[in-house]
Amino acid sequence: MFKNHPTLKHILGRAGWYFVTFLVAVTINFFLPRLGDANPVDTIMAKVSAGLDTASAKEKEESYLKEFGLVEVDAAGHIKRDAQGKPVRASLASQFINYVSMSLRGDLGSSILQHPKRVSEIIKDALPWTLALQLPTIVFGWLLGNVLGALAAYKRGVFDKVMYPLALLMSAIPAFCFGILLVYVLGIRLEWFPAVGGYDDGMTPEMTFRFFASASYYYVLPFLSVFLIVVGGQAIGMRSMCIYELGTDYVKYAKLLGVKESKILYYMFRNAMLPQLTGLALALGTMVGGALITEMIFSYPGLGMAVLTAIQGNDYPLITGCTLLVTVCVLIANFSVDILVGILDPRIRAAQQSGK
Amino acid sequence: MVRALATYDSVRRARLPRAREAELAKPIVTMIETRLPLRSKAGPTTGSLIGSNLPRLGRALLVGLALLSLPDCHKQDSDAQSGFPRSETFYVAGRQWGEPSSFNPLLSNPDWPVNSANLIYETLLMYDSLSGKMVPLLAESYAQHDDSVEVTLNAAARWNDGQPVTGWDVKYTFELGQKYKSLPIAPIWQYLSGVHLFDDAGHEATGGPSSAPGYPRRVVFELNKAKLNPLVVLDALQDQRIVPRHSIEPLLAKVADNLDEFNKLKFDKDVVSSGPYKLFSYSGEKVAAVRDDAYWGNGPLHGGQKPVVKYVVHPIYKSNDHFSIALQQGRLDASSTFVPRIWLKHKKGVRSWFDQEPFFLSSAMPMLLVNHKHPPLDDVHMRRAMGFAINYKDIRELAVSGYSEPLQAGLVLPFGLEQKFFSAEDVKKYGTSFDPAQAKAELAAGGYTPVFGPDGQLVETRDKNGQKVPTVYIKSPTGWSDWESIVRIAVKSMRSVGIDARERFVDASLFWNALFAGDFDLIMNTPASAPSPSKPWSRFEVLMTTQDFAPEGEKMYKNMGRFNDPKSPGYIPRIDELIALIPTIKDEAELLARYRELNVLFMQLQPTLPLVYRPDAFYEFSSRHWSNFPTAKDPYLPPLIPSDRMGTTLLWTLKPVAQ
Repeated sequence: MFKNHPTLKHILGRAGWYFVTFLVAVTINFFLPRLGDANPVDTIMAKVSAGLDTASAKEKEESYLKEFGLVEVDAAGHIKRDAQGKPVRASLASQFINYVSMSLRGDLGSSILQHPKRVSEIIKDALPWTLALQLPTIVFGWLLGNVLGALAAYKRGVFDKVMYPLALLMSAIPAFCFGILLVYVLGIRLEWFPAVGGYDDGMTPEMTFRFFASASYYYVLPFLSVFLIVVGGQAIGMRSMCIYELGTDYVKYAKLLGVKESKILYYMFRNAMLPQLTGLALALGTMVGGALITEMIFSYPGLGMAVLTAIQGNDYPLITGCTLLVTVCVLIANFSVDILVGILDPRIRAAQQSGK
Repeated sequence: MVRALATYDSVRRARLPRAREAELAKPIVTMIETRLPLRSKAGPTTGSLIGSNLPRLGRALLVGLALLSLPDCHKQDSDAQSGFPRSETFYVAGRQWGEPSSFNPLLSNPDWPVNSANLIYETLLMYDSLSGKMVPLLAESYAQHDDSVEVTLNAAARWNDGQPVTGWDVKYTFELGQKYKSLPIAPIWQYLSGVHLFDDAGHEATGGPSSAPGYPRRVVFELNKAKLNPLVVLDALQDQRIVPRHSIEPLLAKVADNLDEFNKLKFDKDVVSSGPYKLFSYSGEKVAAVRDDAYWGNGPLHGGQKPVVKYVVHPIYKSNDHFSIALQQGRLDASSTFVPRIWLKHKKGVRSWFDQEPFFLSSAMPMLLVNHKHPPLDDVHMRRAMGFAINYKDIRELAVSGYSEPLQAGLVLPFGLEQKFFSAEDVKKYGTSFDPAQAKAELAAGGYTPVFGPDGQLVETRDKNGQKVPTVYIKSPTGWSDWESIVRIAVKSMRSVGIDARERFVDASLFWNALFAGDFDLIMNTPASAPSPSKPWSRFEVLMTTQDFAPEGEKMYKNMGRFNDPKSPGYIPRIDELIALIPTIKDEAELLARYRELNVLFMQLQPTLPLVYRPDAFYEFSSRHWSNFPTAKDPYLPPLIPSDRMGTTLLWTLKPVAQ
């Protein structure tokens, strides 16, 4: 029925595959954290058991297990027990069914370690900061890096000789190392920029200019710590792609024909950019996972730390909530690239249309 | 725009006073227009740029850039009420490590400031860990009798809704623990047989709760005669935050008295409490409390003065280093976090209790718990060999920045209030201390032969039958760097004398499970660390009691090393007797004798391996914005940050530093 709409057929086919990938990913996301020996209630008990006697502690532990659905409960709401009187742990299968049915209703459950906070609430609070930090660094870093890379490849000479080693250096520095250097030099030694936090300690987030000014001031170091590294990495990639393109027949031919330099640059850029575009999409997809290292170095608000503490404390609902978010974003980003590349690259469009 | 939305959300989350909340409820667009009159103020240059033929995206970018790069010329726009003026704000840290989620006073681990007493909810008494005295708070006095402990409430004590704090509130708070076994106050009921109220005329109040004049102010805690222990009751009087019956009871009734349901209430606004501060706002970045000017205690307890600090703010940083940086930059005023090598921070105005080593006042004893069910650790020779093998000086100097007095054997601190129970003579006679020759002698006495390789490294230890002794592993959570260093030093010391020990660093969540279930050979732990009236008894109790003895695999929250199994042939009943006896002794000489007896048993049997002394809570402060902090030279308050227990008194005595 899609004979006359090969593109549509292609898109639907891809969408189907992405849906299957999604299901597999969700399943893995659910089971992986639960495979280990540890469980989140132990982490909570470590905090709350001080001073409790053994019987009270046991009662407390059981009330947590019940609250978080980790034990079987009978119709009257009592914990089911085995012959020794130990609570019967809820089977993974029943937990999974519960999880899927809740997820389908859009309910991510409530966090265990930050009980009774909802997972959706935690994500909603942290995500804007993560996006504010990641989106501009990735997008602007990508743009600037690619322009610099293409220029270096095309211009050669001094520009390349300076830019290339610099870019190499930047891309080779581990992000945490560069971040710590920035904090130490600009934050602690020179005290030009604040070393810690997302905005002035004396403020609460609000829609005032004062808050914006403070937040932008605090934004500089975390931004730079990622931005420069992204620029470096992108520039190197783009430069090699462009050098390759420069050696291709179509560029030589265009040069011989006397085509305008800017036009050649445009051709070249367009071709060299395709793999970079995939990289961009992937980066955009994974960015919701948070810039953990940056967050830790600068105590910057965001989702990364929430994910880390969730994993450390086996906070199942929060782990699955965050990984679900990342999964969805990565898949959407990939899907968009699939479609976009088809539109941008005539060769792929042709292949799609011939039904391969 | 992303940022704009973010801030709007966060503002909504941060509970602001009513008036501001209503204002914030305006649609976001109007807010931007009213709050950011950019076009009118940005002047003609920006205006003309915007007006030119730039594409829409470019224009948007320019507006954004202009916004970000403009200096603070719009200060007059900002609400004078917003933010925390530095001269009236005190920044503390170390009591809140993750996103705050609930301020419910019945939770075992609510968020700051509810988790550390006396800012929001108050205790009956405060414990002064320097003098060992109880200081009045909600209760104006207390008395200890043979079979009871009684307190008399301050007649002026009020909840912030104007209702008096009555004996009924105290009785209710304690009896919650009788009803709900999972509450932290529940275990007290092993030692209590009832709470009785008396009015001023001396009549026992029996009718329903009332707060009408003549309400009962005298509360008598009747001790359980079968298990006489006034110490744990005293502990509870300075530890248990009293909650308002008239507010909590209806809330519990609304959820059919189901505590799990009740615990879902966040208590983040319109809370009835008695303390000098109220929750002001909270987010993932900070929690703020604001002064309640109508606080009842200003008159009776503080000579009519309000606290000098209006806001107490707890920033939430994500790494330990940031507390140290923030202290040095004067962004934090006091912190209860581990700041390494504090002497290097002196020139930045960061100080602690002492100006020289050990810098802090210790009250806790990090140690290795020993699993007595795992051979060869059931052998006293092996345990004592370990006690002699460990290089305590290295631990003190290398692992904990020298923040400790030199370690003395036993469970009694050789300084401070416990010093009167300490016997240097006993320590010399029975205790272990770093002495490799003695360690080797103990090993030999136990029939152990270490086998060293040609490179001088230990290969294995053999027992008296020539069999290889199993390697003992020391468990500690991954990434707790000070504990990791301690464990490394202990392993190195033990191996050098011929004990086959190894490090085992495990994920924190696995660590806790292992600790309670007894799944360890040796494990790091700091038992009963907070200073309280029951020290040092509670330290002995938590390490050696055989009450609720459970087999390995089942959880035990005391005596996790399963020492002195009552079912084993070698059971020493005297230890349990002494633990039961000491809290009831009133005669000081007798008390000293019994403590010495118990401590000698500990030293002889070495059931655990104490390693170093540490403060229960670190106490560092910066003198940049506030002064008059208590120190060893001016010890008018114990070393506590001003949101902790008796440290709250500091909020009245601090002096702002003129900037």
